[in-house]
Amino acid sequence: MNTADEGHDHDDGHAHPHAEIGQSTPPGYYEIMETAVRELLVERKLIGADEIRRQIEVLDSRTPALGAKIVARAWVDPDFKARLLADGRRACEELGISFYDDTGLIVLENTEKVHNLIVCTLCSCYPRPVLGLPPDWYKLKPYRSRAVSEPRAVLAEFGTIIPDDIEIRVSDSTAMVRYLVLPRRPEGTELYSEEQLAALVTRDTMIGVVPATVGSGSAGQ
Amino acid sequence: MTETRNLVQRLPNDIGGLPGDPITRVEHQLEPWEKRCHALADVLDFHKIINTEEKRCGVEALGAEMVGKLTYYERWIVAFANILFRKAILTPEELARKMHEVEVRWLADPLGADLRHT
Repeated sequence: MNTADEGHDHDDGHAHPHAEIGQSTPPGYYEIMETAVRELLVERKLIGADEIRRQIEVLDSRTPALGAKIVARAWVDPDFKARLLADGRRACEELGISFYDDTGLIVLENTEKVHNLIVCTLCSCYPRPVLGLPPDWYKLKPYRSRAVSEPRAVLAEFGTIIPDDIEIRVSDSTAMVRYLVLPRRPEGTELYSEEQLAALVTRDTMIGVVPATVGSGSAGQ
Repeated sequence: MTETRNLVQRLPNDIGGLPGDPITRVEHQLEPWEKRCHALADVLDFHKIINTEEKRCGVEALGAEMVGKLTYYERWIVAFANILFRKAILTPEELARKMHEVEVRWLADPLGADLRHT
């Protein structure tokens, strides 16, 4: 390696905070393209100038807390659970969680005999209205390629060991049909309130890569 | 002969069931432009200009090399541009001109708030 290069430490490149308004590093080629496409479409009146901003607000409002609320309600209310499993989208809307797109939602219940896992092998389809945006690993090749052919090995990499007598079902999402895993309610939570239960439900439990436990989530105790 | 068969049978996005590396649990906070790109995708879908499946196909049509080398939202914005060209909503010349304009605007006022925000 060139010693002149070694003399400089450029590792602080990622430490620059993003300015609230504007920024002093030049925009990259693709960012310029994004800005240009958006502005051209607004100029043509094909999209409204404030629609992007409003949709960013919608995206920011969608987090796994919504999915957790759905799961906790299903754990405490068997009638709601039945409606949720029959028509996921309608049951979410019943709780005031709107779907801003045309996607349907199928909720998959984990039981003593079945463990569910969701994936999108072709791209990155994900139940965004109830979980927000997917993590990077969900969109990357290793998870997408292997989840359907060796789910037990994939789960083990998340620290989840599923006994051989439990069937693993992997559901592959599409543009129109999205899935959400309803994890099993952890033992020892009989006296928990619905709110306390919701705090145990993390994003990854609803993707199906880990179980919900009393130590998981924001309520770890 | 048999080597090319895989290319025919599997397009770049069709990777389900293939061998793969161990999972690394990477995550990152979206850059502001990436989030805007995601919002743009949703708005294009609402207006029936580009739907989710057209977007997926548009990414696939970039070909294996670009799919492999561009980041997630880089693939999206290039796919959107190509689809908009194909639908005769934009032309490559218009986009090139606008990109130049955006860049010149940034150079003239690097801290200007209007560059990146609608």
